[in-house]
Amino acid sequence: MPPVSNTLLTVAGVDKTFPGVRALAHVDLDVRAGEVHALVGENGAGKSTLARIIAGIDMPEAGRMLLADRPYRPKGRKDAEAMGVRIVMQELNLIGTLSVAENVFIDRLPSRFGFIDYGVLNRATRNVMAQVGLDRVDPSMPVGSLGVGQQQMVEIAAGLSRRCRVLALDEPTASLTDNEVSLLFAQIERLKAEGVGIIYISHRIEEILRIADWVTVLRDGKVVGTREAAGLDCDEVIRLMVGRDMVKAAPALTGVRSDLALRVIALRGGDKVRDVSFDAYRGEILGVTGLMGSGRTEAMRLVFGADPREAGDIYLGGSERPARIRTPKDAVERGMALLTEDRKAQGLLLSLSVRANISITRLADVSRLGWIDSALESAAARSYVESLNIRCASPEQSVGQLSGGNQQKVVIAKWLYRDCDVLIFDEPTRGIDVGAKFEIYQMLAALARKGKAVVFVSSDLNELMAISSRIMVLSAGRVAEVFEQGAWSEERVLSAAFSGYITAD
Amino acid sequence: MNRPRTSTGQLLLVSLMGLAVSVVGCHKHPDDKPTVALIVKSLANEFFKTMEEGARAHHDQHQDEYDLKVIGIKNETDVTQQIECVELVMAQGVDAIVIAPADSKALVPVCKRAMDAGIVVVNIDNKLDADVLREKNATIPFVGPDNRKGAAMAGTYLADRLQRGDEVAIIEGAPNAFNGIQRKQGFEDAMQAAGMNVVSSQTGYWETDKAQPVASALINGHPDLKAILCANDSMALGAVAALRDAGKGRSVYVIGFDNIAAAQRLLKEGRILCTVDQHADKLASFGIEHALQMLKGEAAGVDQETPVDLITAEML
Amino acid sequence: MAGDYLGMVVALLALVIVFSLSAKNFFTATTFRTIANQIPDTTIVAVGMTFVLIIAGIDLSVSSVLALAGAVLGIVLVNWGWPLPLAIVVCLVVGLVCGAVNGLVVVRWRLPSFIVTLGMLEAARGAAYRVTQSRTIYVGGPLEAITDTTILGLSLPLIGAILIVVVGQLVLSRTVFGRYLIAIGTNEEAVRLSGIDPRPYKVAVFLLCSSLAAVAAVIRAARMSSANPNAAIGFELEVIAAVVIGGTSLMGGRGSVVRSFFGVLIIAVLGAGLAQIGAQEHTKRLISGCVIVLAVILDQYRRRVRNA
Repeated sequence: MPPVSNTLLTVAGVDKTFPGVRALAHVDLDVRAGEVHALVGENGAGKSTLARIIAGIDMPEAGRMLLADRPYRPKGRKDAEAMGVRIVMQELNLIGTLSVAENVFIDRLPSRFGFIDYGVLNRATRNVMAQVGLDRVDPSMPVGSLGVGQQQMVEIAAGLSRRCRVLALDEPTASLTDNEVSLLFAQIERLKAEGVGIIYISHRIEEILRIADWVTVLRDGKVVGTREAAGLDCDEVIRLMVGRDMVKAAPALTGVRSDLALRVIALRGGDKVRDVSFDAYRGEILGVTGLMGSGRTEAMRLVFGADPREAGDIYLGGSERPARIRTPKDAVERGMALLTEDRKAQGLLLSLSVRANISITRLADVSRLGWIDSALESAAARSYVESLNIRCASPEQSVGQLSGGNQQKVVIAKWLYRDCDVLIFDEPTRGIDVGAKFEIYQMLAALARKGKAVVFVSSDLNELMAISSRIMVLSAGRVAEVFEQGAWSEERVLSAAFSGYITAD
Repeated sequence: MNRPRTSTGQLLLVSLMGLAVSVVGCHKHPDDKPTVALIVKSLANEFFKTMEEGARAHHDQHQDEYDLKVIGIKNETDVTQQIECVELVMAQGVDAIVIAPADSKALVPVCKRAMDAGIVVVNIDNKLDADVLREKNATIPFVGPDNRKGAAMAGTYLADRLQRGDEVAIIEGAPNAFNGIQRKQGFEDAMQAAGMNVVSSQTGYWETDKAQPVASALINGHPDLKAILCANDSMALGAVAALRDAGKGRSVYVIGFDNIAAAQRLLKEGRILCTVDQHADKLASFGIEHALQMLKGEAAGVDQETPVDLITAEML
Repeated sequence: MAGDYLGMVVALLALVIVFSLSAKNFFTATTFRTIANQIPDTTIVAVGMTFVLIIAGIDLSVSSVLALAGAVLGIVLVNWGWPLPLAIVVCLVVGLVCGAVNGLVVVRWRLPSFIVTLGMLEAARGAAYRVTQSRTIYVGGPLEAITDTTILGLSLPLIGAILIVVVGQLVLSRTVFGRYLIAIGTNEEAVRLSGIDPRPYKVAVFLLCSSLAAVAAVIRAARMSSANPNAAIGFELEVIAAVVIGGTSLMGGRGSVVRSFFGVLIIAVLGAGLAQIGAQEHTKRLISGCVIVLAVILDQYRRRVRNA
């Protein structure tokens, strides 16, 4: 390694807040020419946010950046690209109906008299694709017809094909095969040799140790430490990622486990859930976690009948016979509830009133012969507004005007009103303020004490460890491990979460 | 550049194809009977439906004399589609075309092309525009009724029941149709001769639904209106409905044109005073016979007038 | 509630005043009698269309379904000689069948209702030509009894239409069914994940809309004394315009049957007034087009002011 310090990009004291969340706090980062600088951390630690700020997509609130010792203040992604800073993002940024070639050269299509010159275009694309080992892909094929892994390679190829000084790769290997990963790494080596500075974000620690020169660990938006990759090992990285104070305010639940409420056997469906089996008991909070893309949300949707499952049986209330759950309607009729991850798109009727949102699950009980008794309906809504402390002008206010935390409470209220036996909460505290989070923990605990089975999906380990009776860890679509209360630690949970991605040597 | 050569080649190809078509059309079976194409407007329109059925009946009786193709367009005012129909039958190598043009002017050039290709063209129903024909140096015989005369007959029959100076209104056909204009002029001739006061003349686009609001406005805007002269029976139906809507029952005379099936019931019940029969069922047969005679060299390409008759309640 | 309708009542009165001043003989009993006789069929279909738009759908086929149902009514009465009540039942069944096809295809193959009902718009019109041989069927007497019957000076169709508006509004705002429709139009996925199967409700709405078109077909045939396979061409857009003028959102989740009724009134008065001041077809269309867009802009502005 050359000892000369030739810093290409300097990030100093960068701050960023999103509504209710401190995403980055005084973050410093140096990226040197010809080196790979890896960013690691838990979900929500601020890795992607930092990369997005560097690429000009998000604006920092404080701090400064230097690019080759000159002030660097990109006004947007285009501006950053003009200065030679590029990002290949986690979410695919391709247009499925356009061809591979059109996608790669979308912003610089070669043309003659306004007509696309497909000869030049396809030849250039073939060169680019050959670099990432996709020389067998026809450049005129629609991107949508490729597999996810190949699509990701197209995206990467598009990024690699442009001249740049700094390249940020956000989870580039999430859906690549080992072979594709090797090809990617060969390209990264080539770029290093050309003096490009590379920011590399990944959950796969062994991969990072293979390719990175430097590793910076982020936790809760703060830099915990920057180390040279040589001499680091997996355990040490994980140790750096964890180890902060617990959420003390959360109620600790004693593991009084009574009857079996939900048993899931060999669940499979979609491309995320491969084989998931678990039990949930009345009176407990079963915590569920896993990395992004581990299949947590997808597994819960399969259990609830929201997506069609390919295999697997679901048993309810200790019954010997599998329950017939094909639609959410079946699930709800059999006493299940699912509070979805995306409350705005899937949970709420945003333009309707708090009252209408709460009563929707049980309209039959506030109506006579199909006619809604508005007095009964309002009374039901009002009682939940009071008991859950939903802050709104009145139950007639539209839900869209409430804060995130209060919106989430409305969704909870709707399921409490339905009075289900098994309640699945998918990321109920995401994007809401600390006070509301605490109230939601209390609600989950109260439900469990009332004898409900609560399944609590979260990517926040601290809250999981604070209120769960048991924690199930999913990794790559399978159950990696189930920890009993007291048997877990942040490190053990995290290594279980990574386990499915570490290829057996 | 090789562009000019390409177009020469294309031209050559097209003319070769044309030659091939004409060869097939004329010489394949010298003794074969001729094919006549009847091109009408919308077959969803009762009048043309009747015309088509008349033609088919005529063909059934003269099957050994000629073959018949009937082609209609979807929308009555879709001139482009009708032009394409003419081109289509030309390519199929028919011997004669009998056409009820959707537009008096726009169909002239394509008919001229058909004649130049050796096809006999006969114009029925709606007369092609004389000025355009002259400009294109084409003579296409028109076989059909004198719409102006028919309308004048109906108008005169109405005028006998009115007082000089009474208010009347006209609901015209589509403004770009020759027969519509002819009927309007016929109505005007009769009203002028009898000294009636034509308070308004507006188009109802041949349709019940379009004529009805026009009639409503006429009825409500002119409380003393005594008669509504409609350029076809469908529009007369709209006028009758408008009178009912206004609660004016039978205090206003309505006259129609075409003698469709529904009109006969209206006549019997006294809701319309009279209509004009131009024998739609025979119109096509007249045209076909004229074309057949021209093919045999028995008829010159001159206009032929077909009968029009006034229909009143007493006659039913 | 009253404030909800105030703007539309004002607009309606303004139109009446403008035309009364500008057109001779507009402000007369016969004009209003004409309008009262002409709105029932539009009103009834507008109620069905309001329901369809509320679930974020659209039904373009109402005009053809109306023509087909009317054509069948005419055939059954005249050619088959069946009694009127039975003929009306057959006519309504035609509407139900068309609606069932629309609804089931939309739900089963998850197609946009725009496409499905566009297909029905063509197919039902073709069927109407087919059954009538493209001929207008004159019915006369027995059918006219429907429009000639009056109670307290109001014709039977008008009373029926107003009744359907009132019931429609109550169903929408007071019943579980109506609430589900509004919820489906607001966020269908959230409704599904709340354990309610949206599909039967969507089918029901298309059934309702087509059956109301069939009811309108009976009234229209009675008014015209005949069944015309060319009836109501372009009528679907007139109805959608009326519903949209009434403030119902094409995006779903928001709408009012009563306001749609006011939309129908505004269009009817506008049409009659323009015709009576002697505006030709082209002028009428030009002005109606502007009024539709203007009404929606005003409605948006009104809601923004109210929400602020």
